[in-house]
Amino acid sequence: MADEEDETGFEEELDEGCSGVDVCHGRRKRLFSKELRCMMYGFGDDQNPYTESVDILEDLVIEFITEMTHKAMSIGRQGRVQVEDIVFLIRKDPRKFARVKDLLTMNEELKRARKAFDEANYGS
Amino acid sequence: MADPARIKTEVTLESPVAGQDEKPKAKATNDTSSPAPEKPADELKESSSQDQRKQDDASEPAAAEDEEEGTSGQPASKRLKVEPEKKKEKRQKVDEDEIQKMQVLVSSFSEDQLNRYEMYRRSAFPKAAIKRLIQSITGSSVSQNVVIAMSGISKVFAGEIVEEALDVCEKWGDTPPLQPKHMREAVRRLKSRHQIPNTKYKNILFH
Repeated sequence: MADEEDETGFEEELDEGCSGVDVCHGRRKRLFSKELRCMMYGFGDDQNPYTESVDILEDLVIEFITEMTHKAMSIGRQGRVQVEDIVFLIRKDPRKFARVKDLLTMNEELKRARKAFDEANYGS
Repeated sequence: MADPARIKTEVTLESPVAGQDEKPKAKATNDTSSPAPEKPADELKESSSQDQRKQDDASEPAAAEDEEEGTSGQPASKRLKVEPEKKKEKRQKVDEDEIQKMQVLVSSFSEDQLNRYEMYRRSAFPKAAIKRLIQSITGSSVSQNVVIAMSGISKVFAGEIVEEALDVCEKWGDTPPLQPKHMREAVRRLKSRHQIPNTKYKNILFH
């Protein structure tokens, strides 16, 4: 537990120390600031969430994606990330599993609908 | 409130018109539709499921004639055909149920709640950035489905953290907006429940 505290504390120190330095390692440009703000409001936070909280959440999301990608690369076809690997990794978590299934089925339906629509247009 | 007696008489009145083989199906769907709370919802469901059954019945006698000429009554093949249709009907009924309930709920939202719900539904991670991030990790290109799946899961993940942080905030007697200490406590709790993937620390079993 002490390790975890040190980990997040270390990131914070890096943030504070970087404000006065030009080149910082581990201090990426903020990728998802706008979207995460809207998302936090949608999930129940205030309409204007704190910037520090948004930063923490962005770091967590990027770490999550990184971990999932690394895990997916190590199973199934090595060195590649495929949908089946992601579905396999997520299988124990009911919410995420259901969400992925829904998204992929909806995507298939939309593709089929678009294809049918285009063929109808091509015919006429 | 639904009146099961009323609904049952409606169905039995129509069944002699359509044919004998509707009766067992009518009884089955009656059992599943009686717990529904709203009358118009019931009528809608009844009419849509009856339309379906009528369509099925139109195609079924032809198939039955092809298969068996001599035997009358309910052949085993027809009974087998009825069961996957019953499951499909049940699933569609559950979907329609849920859609109806959601419509009722959303129609009763205040403006504040509507705004929040709109943000909840519409917010998403930009696909281009996610794709760039994954490709920078793998070094090779990834398919579109992977990007769709990953952004969907990430949104659920963000939602889990925010929900847990709101729980923590409420428990500590604070008010939103969420502060970093709430987020960190939420992460600590989720980690103890193994909902946050962590492959950094290896468990050395025998030291």
